[in-house]
Amino acid sequence: MSIIKAENITKTYNESTIPVHAINGINLQIEEGEFTAIVGPSGCGKTTFLNILGGLDKATKGSVEVAGVNIGEMPDSKLIDFRLKNIGFVFQAYNLIPVLTNKENIEFIMLLQKKDKKERETRAMELLEQMGIADKANLRPSELSGGQQQRVAVARALASKPAFILADEPTANLDSKSTATLLDIMAKMNQEEKATFVFSTHDQRVIDKAKRVITLEDGVVISDVTR
Amino acid sequence: MLLKLSWKNVWRSKARSFVVIGSIILGVWALLIGTGFMNGFGVSYMADVINHDVSNIQVHNKEFKKDFDINYFVSNGTEKAAKVRTWPHVKATTTRIIINGMISSPKKGAAVQIRGIDIANEQKVTQLDSLLIEGSYFKGLKRHPIIIGSKLAKTLHVKLRSKVVLTFTNDEGLITAGAFRIVGIVKSSSVKINELYAFVKQKDLAKITSIGHQVHELAILLEPHVNEAATVAKYNQTYKGDMVETWKEIAPELALMQQMYNQMLYILMLIIMTALVFGIVNTMLMAVLERYRELGMLMAVGMGKANVYAMILIETIYLGLVGAPLGLLAGWLTLSYYSKVGVDLTEYSEGLESFGYSSILYPYLENNVYLIVTFSVVVTAIIGALYPAWKAVKLNPVEALHKI
Repeated sequence: MSIIKAENITKTYNESTIPVHAINGINLQIEEGEFTAIVGPSGCGKTTFLNILGGLDKATKGSVEVAGVNIGEMPDSKLIDFRLKNIGFVFQAYNLIPVLTNKENIEFIMLLQKKDKKERETRAMELLEQMGIADKANLRPSELSGGQQQRVAVARALASKPAFILADEPTANLDSKSTATLLDIMAKMNQEEKATFVFSTHDQRVIDKAKRVITLEDGVVISDVTR
Repeated sequence: MLLKLSWKNVWRSKARSFVVIGSIILGVWALLIGTGFMNGFGVSYMADVINHDVSNIQVHNKEFKKDFDINYFVSNGTEKAAKVRTWPHVKATTTRIIINGMISSPKKGAAVQIRGIDIANEQKVTQLDSLLIEGSYFKGLKRHPIIIGSKLAKTLHVKLRSKVVLTFTNDEGLITAGAFRIVGIVKSSSVKINELYAFVKQKDLAKITSIGHQVHELAILLEPHVNEAATVAKYNQTYKGDMVETWKEIAPELALMQQMYNQMLYILMLIIMTALVFGIVNTMLMAVLERYRELGMLMAVGMGKANVYAMILIETIYLGLVGAPLGLLAGWLTLSYYSKVGVDLTEYSEGLESFGYSSILYPYLENNVYLIVTFSVVVTAIIGALYPAWKAVKLNPVEALHKI
């Protein structure tokens, strides 16, 4: 079943002055349980495409369906709620809340979903165990290494059991050891939790691990390889 | 968790939060001190005038105050005063004969209001004896003793035991005079007591004027903080035909002053809170801009605009709720201290006394002011947070996430 269905996606900036086509008519389907990397050189449109798939940005043309719902036509207020329930995000700079503990950071998403305390705590601890950082539950993000922080960010993204997880350059700030650990964990989550991952990256280590690699150049898909 | 997150956010930048909290403490303290000191002037002035001069309620013949004609008495005034004295909440009553006339010494003359007083009851109503700065309260002189104010004594160039002559028109319209000897000199913040009144024994004045036991004025002092309306209503029901006035009618300037001091509180509050609003807006705007990326992330992962708005609002309210009680405590402690020891303004006593103010100031603040100030700080915090919170919810998550 297609989790994401993008049809003829176009994103043009400065439409009224000098138009810049960041994305130029992309058609794509991503199935449930995929571990997909969107790759390409800087400025090829990876992040823009990911933002459109995640409902953070609107396409100039075309439609995006996530879990059968056309998110392109959704008003902002509904889109926020839709993202909360269906999409997990992992950012390059981790973007954890510095004043909360690692466990609270993971619980926060479930709290927004109005899940009860017991469920939140159990799920957060379960994820921290899976990430191998259960002993860091009550520390703050600043007390962890970059790799560990990114693992908390992945746990946060998985907390609400979303339809898929969008990870924008998740390994860009990590050393090779942390990258390997993170990728192993994400691959494991992909297998065990059937979590669908979509990365934007130009990190070869991520590309090597991906089951499907979609290459963009100048806003168009130039190759789509499933391994 | 929103409450918890907001509380933790407040302490992200301790120095910045302490600056805002400090300015709230200072603002609240300044507001309380300013109001307390202003009120102190007003309350002590009003208390002086009510306790030493006009009392809570006065009763006259309806015609008397038109021309202060000696022939308009309060019928059975002495009996009425005795009866009213037994009523609930009435602390004391006294009667007076009041005649406008002249007082002259060998060197000078001046216009005075001659007040023939019942010395025992006058003491209870106006504590006239407590205002003595020289001499005694009608003791030591058997024949025609008189007490005058310090300013009047200066004007007449007289001192204790000096002889003065009171001249006035009697009940038949004839000029009458009587010689009196000064037995005491009083000083008060009331200009009238200092310059205008001459106090003599009621029986001495009655003898000179031949008006017998008739009186022109009943003065009624109530227990502290008792509303005059009930006693006025009871008097009017019991004795019809007299003119009964409260201090607010007798001295409307006092009521006006009371009103003015109340308004000053709000004006001062407006000034201080306006300054505070700008401080809060500035700080919270900095807090929002500093966390721009984080706020973008929160909105990206699904935190609704209402929650983001509420979070900023709660953070600001926390700042107010930390600052306001400390400011209130500081203000309360300062006012409590100075309300006991007073603020010595004797350096400016001449100027103050010419306006009827005491040179020792005792700040005073009613309890409800503390509540009003607390409420206004919370409202100010909310107003100060509106713009930064609006700015936060207006951000574009994509732009915010890529902000360096």
